[in-house]
Amino acid sequence: MTTTIVVAGKGGTGKTSISALLVQVLSKKGVVLAIDADPATNLNQALGVDPGSTVGRIREDMTRDIQAGTLSPSISKPDYLEGQIRAALVESKGFDLLSIGRPEGPGCYCAANNMLRMSVDKLGRGYRYVVIDSEAGMEHISRQTTRDVDVLVIVSDPTQRSIRTAADIKGLIGEMRTRVGQIALVINRSPDGLPPEIARAAEKYGFGSPLTIGQDPNLAGLEIKGRPTTELPADSPLRLGVADLVARLGL
Amino acid sequence: MDFHVDIGPQYEGETIRKDDMYVEFGGPSVKNKFELVTLKSPGEVEHEKVDVIGPDIKDMREGSSQSLAIMVDIAGETLEKDMEPVIERRIHMYANYIEGVYHMNQRNDIWIRLSKESFNKGFNSLVEFGEILIFLFTSELSAIEKIAVTLITDKKKIEELLPQAMKVYQARDERLKGLREEDVDVFYGCILCQSFAPTHCCVITPERTANCGAISWFDGRAAYKLDPEGPIFEVQKGELIDPVKGEYSAVNQEVAARSLGQYDRMYLHSAFEHPHTSCGCFQAVLFYIPEVDGFGIVHRDYQGFTVIGQTFSRIAGATSGGKQIDGACGMALELIRSPKFFQADGGMHRVVWMPQEIKERYKDAIPADLYDKIATEKDVKDVAELGQFLDRVGHPWLKGEVSLP
Repeated sequence: MTTTIVVAGKGGTGKTSISALLVQVLSKKGVVLAIDADPATNLNQALGVDPGSTVGRIREDMTRDIQAGTLSPSISKPDYLEGQIRAALVESKGFDLLSIGRPEGPGCYCAANNMLRMSVDKLGRGYRYVVIDSEAGMEHISRQTTRDVDVLVIVSDPTQRSIRTAADIKGLIGEMRTRVGQIALVINRSPDGLPPEIARAAEKYGFGSPLTIGQDPNLAGLEIKGRPTTELPADSPLRLGVADLVARLGL
Repeated sequence: MDFHVDIGPQYEGETIRKDDMYVEFGGPSVKNKFELVTLKSPGEVEHEKVDVIGPDIKDMREGSSQSLAIMVDIAGETLEKDMEPVIERRIHMYANYIEGVYHMNQRNDIWIRLSKESFNKGFNSLVEFGEILIFLFTSELSAIEKIAVTLITDKKKIEELLPQAMKVYQARDERLKGLREEDVDVFYGCILCQSFAPTHCCVITPERTANCGAISWFDGRAAYKLDPEGPIFEVQKGELIDPVKGEYSAVNQEVAARSLGQYDRMYLHSAFEHPHTSCGCFQAVLFYIPEVDGFGIVHRDYQGFTVIGQTFSRIAGATSGGKQIDGACGMALELIRSPKFFQADGGMHRVVWMPQEIKERYKDAIPADLYDKIATEKDVKDVAELGQFLDRVGHPWLKGEVSLP
C-alpha cells in the first residue's frame, strides 16, 4: 500500500523545506519516492542529493528523437520511458528522488504525458510513501500522475494573500481527476502563534484548525551555507512542526 | 526444478533499489551490455547448456555495476526468424518473474539488478539465472525444442560481440518498417485529444502513425496492453471496403462511435471526401492547392509563410478541431515514409511544395526523380511562381504522368 502526500502552497512559504523534512521523517518508516514537481524550487538541494535528470528532459529528448525519426520502431515508447525514468531516479538512503523539471514547450505532449503518467504511477506503486512537492497550480499532479492523493498539505505564511492562494489550491481539487483524502493547512513562519485574522480566514475558506509553525532561527544559516534542510537540528521548530504534522495526519 | 529463489508472475512489479541490490548488470553507467535471441538449426544448439564467460556473481564486489551479454540460442521446427524479437522480449518477462531480480529495457540497453536478499538465499551464480531462463522458456513456449544460454560478463568479449548484435537489431528495425496494414489483425485508436477535438479519433496502423507523431502502431499495442481501459484502444479492421482509399468497415463503426455519430466513414489514405479527422496537435498539415491541383506540406516548426500565403498556425487553425475537411489533413511527419501516404490521391507524386528543412530530412523517402521537382520556400514565394516552377521542372503530376491506383 502506498500513501501519497502532496505538499502545495504559494512560493516562499517554506513548502520545499517542509517536503524535505517530511521525506526524511517518513523514510525512517518506509521507503519514500520524493517527486519534485515544482520547477521553481530544488527539492534535491533541500534533501542534500544530486538533481539527477528530469522527466521534462526525457520528454524533450524523446520528442526530439521522434522528430528526427531516430527512435527504433520496435522499442515501444511506454517501455522506453519506463527505463528512462528509472535511470533519472536519484537513489539515496531510504528515499529516491524524481524531478519533473520544466513544463512542455510548444507542440503536443498529450501522448508523451499520458505515457509518462503510466510510468510514474507504476513506479510509485513500489514505495510505501510518495511525497510530491508541487507548485501552486498543481498542474503536474493532474498531468504526471493519476493516483489518488491521500493527504494534501497546503503550506501558507501568515498573510491574507498566501491563505487566499491556499484556498485556491483547495478549490483546484474539484477540477482534477484525482480524489483527495485529508487536507491539512500549515501556517508556517508565524512568529507569535496563529493570528486571529488568519484563523478567521482559514475558517472562512473551510479549512480545519491549521497547524502553526514558528520562524525557524536555524534555517537561514543553513540556506546561507547552502546546506540541506535535512540538517536542521533535532529541536528546530520546523522539524518539530513536521513531526507534529506527521503525528496529526496519522502517517 | 529446484532453485534458490521463488519464480512467478507475482514478482513482476518488484523493483530493487540501490540500497537493496547486491549487484547490477548494465544500466546507465555500463557500456557493454546486450541481450540477443538467435534461431539456429537443431545441430547447432546443445540443449539446456548454460555457459558463463567471465566472472560469476559470487566473484563480484557487492554494490558494483557489471557488463553482461545474454545470448539465447533456440531451435525448433515451427520457429521462424521473425519470432526472434518476440521471444527475446520474453527475457524481460521471465527475468522479472525471478524473486529478487529486476530487468529493464531491451537490446543493448538492458539493466538488471539482483537483490541482496536473493543473493543471500544462495542465488549467487549466473548459471542458475540461465537455468531459470531455460526452465521458463521451455515450459511456456513449447515450440522451443532446444535452447542454450550463454552469459558473458567479460567486458572485452562483449565489446567484440556488440557490433554484430547491433547489426541484427538494425536489420529487425528495417523489417519492422516494412510492416503493412495487411500484416496485422488489429489497429489502434487514440482519443487523447478529445478534450480539444471532441469528435477526433486517431486511427493508428502500421502505415499510419498518429497525427502527433508520438504513437506508432507498436506504441499503441504497448500502451493498450499496459492500460486496456485507457485512451488508447484496439480498433478492429472488419471488412476491407476500399484498399486504395483505406476504408474498413469496423474502422468506420469505431469512428462513428468515438465521434458520437459525427462521422461514419473514414478514409485512412485519402485527403478527399472522408479524410481522417485532425486533432490540434498534428506535427504537420497536408493542404490542397487548387491552382496547381497538388498538395503542400507544412510542419509546426516552420516559421514563415507557406506558398499559399498562410502560416502553419493559420492553416492548422482551419484544419484542427476534429473535423473532416476536404483537402486538409493533420499528419505525422513520419507518414511521409509510409507506402500508403495519401495513395488514393497520388501520394508523394502529387506533393508540389514543402519546407526545405522537411525536404532535406525526408530525402530518402522522396523518390529520387521527384526530389528536385518539389518546390520549397527557397524556390517560390507564391502560387503564381509555384505554377511557373512546376512547369519549368516538369512535375510529373502536372504533366499527367502519374496514374492513380
